[in-house]
Parts: sequence; C-alpha cells; structure tokens
Amino acid sequence: MGYFLRRTGFFVATLWAAVTLNFLIPRLQPGDPAEAIVSRLTGKSEAVDPRQVEAIRRLLGTPDGSLLTQYWDYLGELVHGNFGLSYTYFPYTVTEVIGDAALWTVVLVGVTQILSFVIGTLLGAWAAYRRNSRVDSVITLGSTFVGTLPFFWIALLLIYVFAITLQWFPDGGGYGGGSTPGWSWLFFSDAFQHSVLPALSLLITGPIGWIIGMRNNMVQELGQDYARLARAKGLPQRRIALTYGARIAILPNVTGFAIALGSILGGTVLVETIFNYPGLGRLLLESVSNKDFPLMQALFLFTTIGVLVANFVADLLYGVLDPRVRRTEAA
Amino acid sequence: MTPRRFRAALVAVATTASLTLAGCTGTESTSAAPTEDGLIPVLNYGDFGGGEMPKENYNPFLLATKLSATEYLYERLMIVETYSCQEIPWLATGYDWTDDKTLVFDIRDGVKWNDGEDFTNEDVAYTFNLIKENDVLDTAGVWQYLDAVEATGDSQVTFTFKEPGGSAFQMINGVPIVPEHVWSQVDDPTTFTNAKDPVGTGPMTIKSFNPRELTIERNPDYWQADDLKVKEIKFHKVDSGGQVEQLKLSRGEYDTQGMYVPDIEKTYVERDPEHNHYWYAPGGVISVYMNLTEKPFDDVEFRRALTTAFNYDEVVEKAQLGYVEQASQTGLVIPGQEDWLPEGLENEGKMPYDAEAADQALTDAGYKTDADGNRLDKDGNPISFSFKVPGEYLDWVAASDILIENLQDLGFEVDQETPQPATHDEDRKTGNYDMIFGVYGGTCDMYRNFADPLDSSRTAPVGKPALSNETRWQDPETDALLADLKVATDESEQQEAVAGLAEIMMDEVPNIPIWYGAKWFQYSTKNAVGWPNEDDPYAGSNDFLPMLMHLRPAEDSGDEG
Repeated sequence: MGYFLRRTGFFVATLWAAVTLNFLIPRLQPGDPAEAIVSRLTGKSEAVDPRQVEAIRRLLGTPDGSLLTQYWDYLGELVHGNFGLSYTYFPYTVTEVIGDAALWTVVLVGVTQILSFVIGTLLGAWAAYRRNSRVDSVITLGSTFVGTLPFFWIALLLIYVFAITLQWFPDGGGYGGGSTPGWSWLFFSDAFQHSVLPALSLLITGPIGWIIGMRNNMVQELGQDYARLARAKGLPQRRIALTYGARIAILPNVTGFAIALGSILGGTVLVETIFNYPGLGRLLLESVSNKDFPLMQALFLFTTIGVLVANFVADLLYGVLDPRVRRTEAA
Repeated sequence: MTPRRFRAALVAVATTASLTLAGCTGTESTSAAPTEDGLIPVLNYGDFGGGEMPKENYNPFLLATKLSATEYLYERLMIVETYSCQEIPWLATGYDWTDDKTLVFDIRDGVKWNDGEDFTNEDVAYTFNLIKENDVLDTAGVWQYLDAVEATGDSQVTFTFKEPGGSAFQMINGVPIVPEHVWSQVDDPTTFTNAKDPVGTGPMTIKSFNPRELTIERNPDYWQADDLKVKEIKFHKVDSGGQVEQLKLSRGEYDTQGMYVPDIEKTYVERDPEHNHYWYAPGGVISVYMNLTEKPFDDVEFRRALTTAFNYDEVVEKAQLGYVEQASQTGLVIPGQEDWLPEGLENEGKMPYDAEAADQALTDAGYKTDADGNRLDKDGNPISFSFKVPGEYLDWVAASDILIENLQDLGFEVDQETPQPATHDEDRKTGNYDMIFGVYGGTCDMYRNFADPLDSSRTAPVGKPALSNETRWQDPETDALLADLKVATDESEQQEAVAGLAEIMMDEVPNIPIWYGAKWFQYSTKNAVGWPNEDDPYAGSNDFLPMLMHLRPAEDSGDEG
C-alpha cells in the first residue's frame, strides 16, 4: 500500500508545482495582449491606433492587487473551474472555447494514438519473434527510414497528392463550409472525410516509436536465461515469445502509452496547424501568438494535468502489472 | 522551431507545391447568371475574422473579436471613405456646425431596423450615451471630446463638445448605430455577443454561420434596396499559411480577396486576364524613424541630408515588387490626400535619390569623412548605429537592406538587427533603437495622422513606452499647429494647419517617409462589376458598404470593373 500512497503524494506535489508555474509563466512574459491584438488587426502596412489599444486594454482588464492576492484568486477560480474570458474570442469563456476544440483533438489524436500503439506493438513483437529474418529487416529498417522523414513533410506530401492533385480528400479543416456542425449523419461523414489525411499522417509516423521500443525490449527478453530455459524445456517458440517475452517487453511501452495519451492535448500543434484542424493544438498556438493569457493558461494547465494523471495511472498500473516495482520501492 | 519559423518553413515547402500546380489546373470561367430580378445570386469573399475557430459575435463595439459581417449589419451617420476621404451621407443626410462646439446631424427618414421598427434620432442619441456609460466600448475615445449627445427636434441629433470639436468629426462617424429597443434590454453590452438575430439597419442580415463559412443575405427592406444588387455573400475562413488560399484565388474561387500574393500578375491576373484584377491603394506611411534623443539624429542638418540619401525607387521596385509608391516627405498619402499638400511643393514632396547631394550636405553640416571614407561625427569619431527591423517581415528586411547599403555608401557603419515583432514594437515604443521603421498616417483623420507621430504629449522619456510619438519629436511649433488643427472645423483652417505640419516634415525632418504600405485587394469581374479601382476610386477597398452598393451583375456593363 505504501507504494500507492507515495505515488499519490508525489502526484499532488507535482500538480501543485505545475499549477503554480502555470500562474507565474504568463506573468513573466513580455508584451501587452491589447497591443498584440490591435497590431494583428491593423497589419503592418497601416498605422496602429493607440486609442484602440487603450480601449481594448480596458476591456480585457488588467489584474490588480499584489502577486500573492492574484495567486490566491487564481487558485480560487481554478477550484471553481473558472478560467475567465478568452482574449481572442472575447466575450466567450475559455471553457466554451476549449470545449469546442477538445472533441476534435481527442477523437482524432486519441484514435490514432491507440491505433499506433496497437499496430506498433504488434509489428515490433512480430519483428522480434522473427528477428534477423527478412520481415525483421523490412520492419526495422522501414520504420527507421520513415522516422527520419520530417513529419510536416509527410503531411504536406499527403495534402499535395491526395487533396490537391487527386482531390480525393479536402485540403484542410475539420469539416466543410457547407455542413452544419451537429449530430447528423451528413456532418459525421463530412468530418470523417476531413479527418482521413491528418489521421493517415499520424498513423504513418505514430507507430515507429512503439515498433522499435517493442522489438528491442523483446529481443532482449528472448535472450534472457528464462527464455533459454523455456526453450531447453521444449516450450513452443510462439508460446515463449508471446506469453513470456512479449508480456514483459510491453511494460515500458505501457508507461509510454499512458504518457502519450496524456499529452494528446499539447502534442498536436503540428498536425493541426498543417491540416487547419479545429483542435486544441492550433488553439494553443493561436493563444501564444495572441498573448491570450487566460486561454493559454487553461490549455497549459490541462496539458500538464493530462500528463500528470497519465503518469500517475501508469505508475499505479505498473505496480499492478509488475510486482517487482512494488517490492523494490518498499525496500 | 518557433511557430512562426515553422510556418515560414511550411510556406516555403507549400509554395513549390502550389507553383507546380498553378501550371496544370485550368481556370473555371463559368459565371453565375443573375437571378430573374437582376440580382447577383452569390459572391464569395475572403476571411470573416474571429480567430482560427470563429464564434458568432456581431457586437459592433467589440472591434477585436466581432466577425467582419458585422460591418454589413450596422451603419454610421456619414461614411468617410478611406481613399480620398469624401463624406458620403448615410444614416444622416447632412450635418452642420452651428458653432465650433455644437454639431447637428440631420437623421435620414424612412430607415427601418431589420426587425421592422423605425430607426429614429433617439437611437443615435442612445448609442452615443451607451458608449459613454460603457466606456470600454468607446474604442475611438469620442467622449474625451463630447459633452452631451441629444436627440433634438423631429429628426436631429445635437452633439455638444467640451472644447472646439473639429478633430472629433471622424470619430463620431466611426461609431456604429445600434437600436435602443434591443440594446436597452441587454444586461452587459460589453460581453454581449449579439449572436442571435442581430438587429441593425444595414443592407445584409445573417443567413447562416459555421466556423468555416459565414453567409449573409440581402435585407429586402433596406433603405437603399433599389441599389442593392447582391443577394448573398459567402465569407470563407482563410486558414493561416495562405498558400492554399493563393491557389483558391488563382483558381477563381473568390470574387474578392485581400491578401498578399507574391507576383500577383502571374499567380492571379494571367490566370484570367479578362476578369482578374487587383488594386493596391496606399495605406499608412512607412517611414524611417531616427531616435531624436541621440546624436547625430538630433541635428536637423543631419536629418535633412539623409532625405536624399535613400534609393527610394529601388525600395519600391525591389523590396516592394513595385506594388507601392514612394512616400512624400510631407507625411501625406499621395494621391488620396494630394489636396492637402502645401502650395509650391516640388514633386509632391517626394525626395530624389541623390547620394552626392547627401554627401555634400553631410560634409557641410560638419560630418566629414576620413581617408578611408568613414563618416565622422563632429568630434571626429566614426558614426555607427543599428537599424532594427522585424526578421519576419521579409519585405521590410529587404527594404532595410537597401537603405543600409545607401547609408554604408555614405560612410556610416550600420548594423542590421532583426528582433521578433513583439520585441521590435516594444523597443520602438520605449525608444530603444537608433534607426527603425515606423508606420503612421494614411487615415482620413488628419489630426491623428500628424498628432500620433509628432505630438509632444504623445511621447515619453526613453525607457518609458511612448503612446505613439516614438521618435520623441518635441517641437513647440508643431504642437501649436496641432492645437489649431485639433479645433479647426473650417476647411481652410484645416488646410492651413496641415500645410504647416507638412512643411515641418519637409524642413525639420522628424522622420523620413519611404513608401506607402499597400492595402491588398483583388477582385474578379466574372460575377460582379463596379469594384473600386485606380480608374474609379470612389471608395477604399475596405469601405465595404459603399462598395456593396456599387456592385452590379456582370452582364450589365461589359467587363471593366
């Protein structure tokens, strides 16, 4: 039980640190959101109107009170789930803005992450099972090669071939201009069409880490004494590989997977920017370039909480899956 | 990689893709026939604002986040078009200064809100008092000048000012008029999104919204309905990056767009020379700012010498691809503001590039060169300074390269620094620079055009952010002229003050205008004609309402737009 208590304590402490940093970092950033907004609206070819900057500054409001009272207020608002009004989407609240974007990211990235994990782990296990065979070389070399290609290059290539030249799929966006977002079959099929290319780009690069990790772990496990003993006892190869080797080799990947799921929120900036996908990653980028502090703060907070919770769950899971961990920590 | 750099990389890769593509896709030239009642069925416009994932917001006072369709919902008393600043009577039929502190507008009869209620002078008075009570909605700051706004008589509104109010005329006409019967029911107008059936007097109403596409449709009861020939306008979300958008533009998917396109002739006009056109009217004055608190920039002789030191033509042709014009040293935007030029001015105040004259003038002013050609200050030390330019503004960087070369030819040691735009703006505000580009002017508010860069009350000591006078120009004569201009209601008084300020720009050189920033505007005459352009500049490209009222179905009048 001590293991789980310690993990919980660690979780709470990191959470507090993350929340506090999240409060401090935007306040240390240089620049004035009102100025940024007006410059962006005006463009660089026309004169910025200082009166507009002033009006927007007053509209958005500046935090008052000492840093300590601000911090206290911030914690209070946080507990109530109140993140304030977004600067970019004023007067919509941060919660509304994030709520609209979250589903897109969670579905797109969630599904592709799970698929990547499954595909990657299976391929990796297969390569290890048939190690040094042709299958192994194709999988290992192939994934290493694809892994060296920049992600955005693959994504742009997909857009160029499938969206622009062949025109099979739309070039970007989460849905078309004509369809109304809602729970209709028409909208779903439209959204699915739009998700194919981004999902494909994620699925090309996604499994690589899992493949290589799984293969290497498993090759190592299959070289262990117990595997040799099992072989000597005459257990079938397949059983040694799947029931013994794979079960142990998958452990580090489980942690990795939990973290990958947790970082869904922050890890999609690239794919969403390229495909103009209406998700959290693009929102994050936009909030940073607009100095939209309330939105930025909430997104960073969700990302850190996501990673922390995922880590926590992985830790707990690890304790259950691998009794050795519990015992070592207790000792 | 920073997000911007990353985008730049994307752009680079995608340009190759789109250029290859531009060669192999045909242009659609099917034109939508007008409807039976002679209307243009639909026009496709560019972006509608509201960020990357727009939400419905038609509150005309929330200037940073409202969707651009709001401009078609609410109207102003007079429209002062942005190209040559002509006043077009709109919700008001006219105005009169009864004395220099009292301005009376005559409100138009027969205008209705789109919910069927009558529009009255009470609505106008209500609107102004609304932004008085909610001062964050007063984005132009009209209430710094106003004392009271009242509905008077049957159809008049009387504005009284605290002091002579000539310079506030522009601002008053910038305020969108909203219906009292709707807005008086709103709890908090500062956080009102006005998303549901917005009530305005404008020519269009909201038809449908989705974050990627916003459609507005003709208001059949509009007060100028006879001249309103557009049935529907579809705005399309323009995603960042722009390469795909360029492709859409060259494919003819937009009837009008306002975006930067490299080599517009090739990527757009040549695709359909009969219909595709562009008009890049001048915007603000892009000017070399010198830090006037530093030597040698505090010396008027020195600054005057530099006005002939720059190769303006090369900046215009090479850095700006010939899309813009050289700026007049007066700070006025020519040709739109040519009526304001002081009399007897040579070449509209556009300075010639004459390095020899600059060299001579510098030497005469006491800035000699040594044997190696280095330019020395009056104490005999080499003059060296930096030129800051945001690294992301590629055309600005190219322009600064040329200017720096010109300066180096005169023997100055000049370093180029390329900070991030936010840092650049901050440095310019706080005076942390030697030489830098600044932008001002080009609006119809002549007082603002000159007060922003030159008013001594709009500056601050180096280290503190200046409101807008970033060169830190302090001159009693300038301030006196600005004070005259601020209160002038009479045209000849305004002329006189502006001419005086333009002369100060010529003689004392508070900054050196180089070129006019361009307002990007592309249009197609496939479906509609009557767009404003160089031959018929009845309004600026961002004067949406006058433009809409000029549009006619393409079949009516041939292809010249």
